[in-house]
Amino acid sequence: MSDNQLSTSKPSNSAIGSRKWLKPSVLAVLVAFIALLPAMHHSNYIMHIFILTFIYIIAAVSLRTITISGQFPLAHAAFMGIGAYLAGMASKWLGWSPWVTIPSAAIVTAGIGMLIGYPFARLRALYYAMGSLFFGIGVIYIVYAGGIWSGGYAGLTGIGPMLGFSRIANYYFFLGLTVVSLLALYRFEFSRIGTTLKAIAQSHLVASSVGINEAWYRILAVGVGCFFAGLAGAGYAHYNTVLSPASFNFMATLWLVMYVLIGGIDSFAGPIIGTSILVLLPEFARDLKTYSPFLSAVLLLVVVYLMPQGLVGLPRIIRSWYSERRKGKKIAHVSGN
Amino acid sequence: MELTVATITNLLILSSMYILVALGFAFLFNMLGILNLAHGAIYMLGGYIGLALISAMGINQWVALAITALVIGAFGIFLERFCFRPFVGDFNRIIMVCVALTVVLQTGVNILVGTQILSLPPFFEGILRVGPVSVSYERIGTFAIGAFLLGVVIWFVNRTKWGQQMQAISQDIEGASLQGINVYRVSALASFIGCALAAIAGCLIGAYLGLGPYMGDFMLVKILMLVFLAGIGSISGIFIAGLVLGALDSILPLLVSGAASDAIAVAIVVVLLLIRPQGFFGREAT
Repeated sequence: MSDNQLSTSKPSNSAIGSRKWLKPSVLAVLVAFIALLPAMHHSNYIMHIFILTFIYIIAAVSLRTITISGQFPLAHAAFMGIGAYLAGMASKWLGWSPWVTIPSAAIVTAGIGMLIGYPFARLRALYYAMGSLFFGIGVIYIVYAGGIWSGGYAGLTGIGPMLGFSRIANYYFFLGLTVVSLLALYRFEFSRIGTTLKAIAQSHLVASSVGINEAWYRILAVGVGCFFAGLAGAGYAHYNTVLSPASFNFMATLWLVMYVLIGGIDSFAGPIIGTSILVLLPEFARDLKTYSPFLSAVLLLVVVYLMPQGLVGLPRIIRSWYSERRKGKKIAHVSGN
Repeated sequence: MELTVATITNLLILSSMYILVALGFAFLFNMLGILNLAHGAIYMLGGYIGLALISAMGINQWVALAITALVIGAFGIFLERFCFRPFVGDFNRIIMVCVALTVVLQTGVNILVGTQILSLPPFFEGILRVGPVSVSYERIGTFAIGAFLLGVVIWFVNRTKWGQQMQAISQDIEGASLQGINVYRVSALASFIGCALAAIAGCLIGAYLGLGPYMGDFMLVKILMLVFLAGIGSISGIFIAGLVLGALDSILPLLVSGAASDAIAVAIVVVLLLIRPQGFFGREAT
């Protein structure tokens, strides 16, 4: 399957003029490369890191899907946590299989997100961000207060494993889940609903004056975002089999926001690139384990000061810098004559 | 009786410390719209610098408190100039800078000192006994310093020229600069005061409750609650919101045990915010 994609991409790459196929073929090559990675380098640790990256990519891209409606939620890790704890508790106390808990946890998370989104649609801009932030903190306190049912401070253990702990099966499961989720979110963003959401983000007054039910669309965006956050969280619960409330707290939310912002919030590829770099980079520098947060912080500062559009804007910056230089050379040449 | 007095002193101390830290955050936020998520880390850094000055260098603790305030205040001026001012009006990049700052400060303290809970030597010793009630001077003194500083800040904001310039900027930044106010000089001053207040609160809390590298996260959440319950642009609202939050945090644990009380406190804050989506005393978010 993946070899097939690899071969079809070659002629379209060389054919000048059919740029329409350039992007999909590059993506297909990339997916094929990631799919073949375990065959090339069979290491459990690297597969583990990639699985985590996949999970966070789903979460980060779904966070960005909410932001296209002009809302800036600071509770996304908490929604991941809701999905993870629902799946984990259903697996531990009811003995449900992962194939039941993962989709149902995602659906329930979306429902909770929409229920919460209904009163929160009253809040705007920063007040929305803060309201959702406090909600996320409340979720963590509820997990702490859950005692034996949610594991409390110690964390939830004894969640049923998925695919019998097999790393390679998990790798392909999460790769497939990520690809399907990304396709769905991409279709959602560029559908009629996605365009409506962008209109609301630009001006909610104009949008509601042309007959868009603003509150409903904002709630819908939150529902879709929370569905995929719950999916990622539930998958994480069954992959990791141990949950700790600290992985879903306020700082975790901020890190998800950082994944989105460092890649570039204006483009669909932004969160994917940002997550890959921020999750993978500290792993390459594993010898400096205690210092690895510094690495992430330096990367953040570099992006903030030098790349206003995030890492996605890097090619554009290089291109404009290059053409500026060439122009400068040409002028110097002309004036020299 | 004992319990009532303990609760009331706890309420007053928590409220005064929350307000002290929140004021510094609110100055910059009201004036330039900077959501300084690193304010919690600055507060934490203040506590640790105070500890280093007192226990490692053996400086008198009151002198050390003053030096800490000056050092962190200078750090605040640096932050305002190089980290916040270039990005005024750009919410995304400001929170990126602040998260990076928080990570650097927390990881730095974590590597240098470790995660164990440390404590500053107490600023006051002894216990005051009035009839059947006994209160330690530590508590009274902490509250007294907090209340005194709050009084000074209120005087500063309302009665001095600098403070009135700060109020003018937070009402209308362009109008203020048209009147000849040097906006960035005033905001640098506000950042100095804000960070110095946070550092003093860090030292006082460090002596009263103890220091940890992640104590800033808790305080950050509290000051965000305070500032947004009060509403953007309101200074006096922060005092009322601070008393409400202090009351929730000191009375609820008596009624409900463990994390459930925290969950209820957060739920009350969320409900209050939903009742008044623009805060209780502030203006609409832009």
